[in-house]
Amino acid sequence: MARRPLEGIRIADLSAVWAGPYATRLLADLGAEVIKIESPNNPDLLRALSLLPPDTERAWNKSAYFNHNNRNKLGCAIDLGKPRGKALFLELVAKCDVVIENYRAEVLDNLGLGYDVLRAVRPDVILVSMPGHGKDGPERDYVAYGTNVEQLAGLASISGYIGGGPQKTGISFGDPVAGTAAAGAIVLALLARKRTGRGQYIEIAQRETLTGLIGEYVVGYSMTGENPERIGNRHPAWAPHGCFPAKGDDAWITLACRDDADFAALCDVMQRPELANDLRFAAADARYQHPDELDAVIGAWTSARDRFEAFELLTRAGVPAAPVLGYRDLYENPHLRERGFFERVSHREAGSWDMERPVYRFARRPTSIERNAPCFGEHNDYVFRELLGLSESEVAALEKEGITARTPNMASHQ
Amino acid sequence: MSALDGTRIIDVSTGVAGGFCTKLLADFGADVIKVEPPRVGDGLRSLGPFADRGSPAETGALHLYLNTSKRSITFDLNTASGRLLLARLLSGADALVDDRPVGTLENDGFDGERLAGEFPKLVVTQLSAFGQTGPYASAPWTNLTSFAAGGQMAATGDPDREPLKNGGFQADYQLGLNGFTATLAGLWAAGESGTGDAIDVAAMECMASTLEIMLNTYCYAQIDYWSGRKGNVLSAVLGLFPCEDGYLGVHAMPRNFPALARLMDAEWMLEDERFRDSASRLANDDELRAMVYAWASQQEKKVAYQRAGETRAPIAYVHEVADLFTSPQLQARNYLQQIDHPLAGTLTYPGPLFRMTGTPSAPRRAPLLGEHTEEVLAELGLQPRDVDVLRGTGVI
Repeated sequence: MARRPLEGIRIADLSAVWAGPYATRLLADLGAEVIKIESPNNPDLLRALSLLPPDTERAWNKSAYFNHNNRNKLGCAIDLGKPRGKALFLELVAKCDVVIENYRAEVLDNLGLGYDVLRAVRPDVILVSMPGHGKDGPERDYVAYGTNVEQLAGLASISGYIGGGPQKTGISFGDPVAGTAAAGAIVLALLARKRTGRGQYIEIAQRETLTGLIGEYVVGYSMTGENPERIGNRHPAWAPHGCFPAKGDDAWITLACRDDADFAALCDVMQRPELANDLRFAAADARYQHPDELDAVIGAWTSARDRFEAFELLTRAGVPAAPVLGYRDLYENPHLRERGFFERVSHREAGSWDMERPVYRFARRPTSIERNAPCFGEHNDYVFRELLGLSESEVAALEKEGITARTPNMASHQ
Repeated sequence: MSALDGTRIIDVSTGVAGGFCTKLLADFGADVIKVEPPRVGDGLRSLGPFADRGSPAETGALHLYLNTSKRSITFDLNTASGRLLLARLLSGADALVDDRPVGTLENDGFDGERLAGEFPKLVVTQLSAFGQTGPYASAPWTNLTSFAAGGQMAATGDPDREPLKNGGFQADYQLGLNGFTATLAGLWAAGESGTGDAIDVAAMECMASTLEIMLNTYCYAQIDYWSGRKGNVLSAVLGLFPCEDGYLGVHAMPRNFPALARLMDAEWMLEDERFRDSASRLANDDELRAMVYAWASQQEKKVAYQRAGETRAPIAYVHEVADLFTSPQLQARNYLQQIDHPLAGTLTYPGPLFRMTGTPSAPRRAPLLGEHTEEVLAELGLQPRDVDVLRGTGVI
């Protein structure tokens, strides 16, 4: 069997919640050995966001939010605030290619674990930090959680209904974007290290990363000096282009016509071929001038149809379309099921369920869910004994001193 | 030096997803050769706004941004000679990126078997909405339809209105960013083993994997925590609130509430039984929400943001694009960059997605259509006579 793409790379992961763990999830899915390090007194917040009944036993090992984002990783507990914990962490860093953290800007340096300290024990280490605003600048220490990032980046201001205000996205959009970028940054640094022999420090300011996904608006502003108008689901040049009601409760279908051929096909599907010859709609420019009339015609057609029926009719005719799918729809979606998007996992404390598989599919290399997310402290022995060479009694002493643990103190998240 | 010096990428994509993927590779040092159809060029060249000068095909904002650092060669993939040229390019390349409709690369004569046999070290990254296999694979798609299919749209917008896509091309950008990371992993693996690969990246799957707590919790326990759209305000301590000259974004975790209360000059809330812990605040959310709305409406966005920042209250303001140009933070960090272009002039571009201290990105302006055709053909060993033949027959 071929090796997984990143097999042989070892990553010490100090990150928590979403952005950092999403980066290391992508890398672990590709075969990197990711060792997640949690504090006994401040475990990953996602362990507390289980939505399970409050009396659930050992709920910290059963949070799906945590277990999905940390599968394929190993986990150990180290209190970095204690000198012995810090020393053990540095011994581990000496055996790692990469260290990643998403603390607030000043935390790693305050712990005495800045890049220079890590480099002293591992000269070619790659260190990745992911502060919201960056490591310097006047706003460095400002709080910036998930939803703030899209506000700072400019994304919220260009999102919104026509004539309305800015719109919050449906998720903490900046988190997975920064996480995916961080995963790429780490592989870039590995490729560079292979040629030069040198590691490096990488800084991911999450608000800057997300502005990179609206770059044409920055370039455009420097041309026009004007803030863009919010255009809802419309497109800057194509019409029709929108989200239309389908039959049923809160059921919707999107469709887009990229050119006159798409529009002619749409008219055929709706059995309204005369529209393609109507001067208001025949040419793209004209359609763009009369969007409301056109949207009303399309809405009347879609409202009479199930969204999947409309999807099939439209795509068969070559018109780009898709139903608006919620998470329940995705879970049951026949296309995703046929592609094997969900894999059955069996977790020793949390039970069995279907989990989404690694997203990058390599034709010649395996990628799959090889192991469950770690229970808290599950791989303490692997890290302390196998990697760092401690004895059983030494590990027991670490536990007694609170430098490591097998049960987290959840108080900080209550 | 750059991270990807010496790496050559062939880009036959025509959309935002492929364009963004190869822009990132190019800005970090790869030699990206963008293959464009003669005369009309890449689809990215057709979208405005356009600089008030020069030819529109050279001065659109989307093209200028997404095609930085690349070389442009024009040839027609619908001709036998064009396909020969692509094969010549691929034999000297490390990766191929494509975001055209599923089946296009096969129709060009490059199916998976031929690619693996003739170019065994090549990494082929194919970006699409639905993936290269499965019942939806051949369905046509755009940014809007990907956003709908991936699950993010169902959660975005107001509860009493239609679902809303994010501004710009966020589904395509996410796909392109994932393509960037996947391609790099492929390059790493190919470098280690000498064997390339073909990578299938689907926007629908990338987006479905990032639905915060929604899909994972439903998978695990069929818990319907989150159905529908919540608009701009999820609770009194999480949402966008109108202020005097814009919008403030509040995102308070339990530990940030005291700082928020102090910022609102309402420290009394910390002692009040209606608001003193997160359970009581949730039970009295309407009352608290009304107070946050009232407070926010009296605030100027930049003043409130700075006061909040200094006291570590979890508030940002919604930056209009203009605000990015005057942000003290972005200025102090020299985030925005000026790039000259012979036709579009000197314009402002975002900085890199991340800062690599050892191998920084060094973007160059986007190429003119076909600017590097002769240069690249010469590198492939074509004689001027051959180039004339290709030009005479309309291939280049």
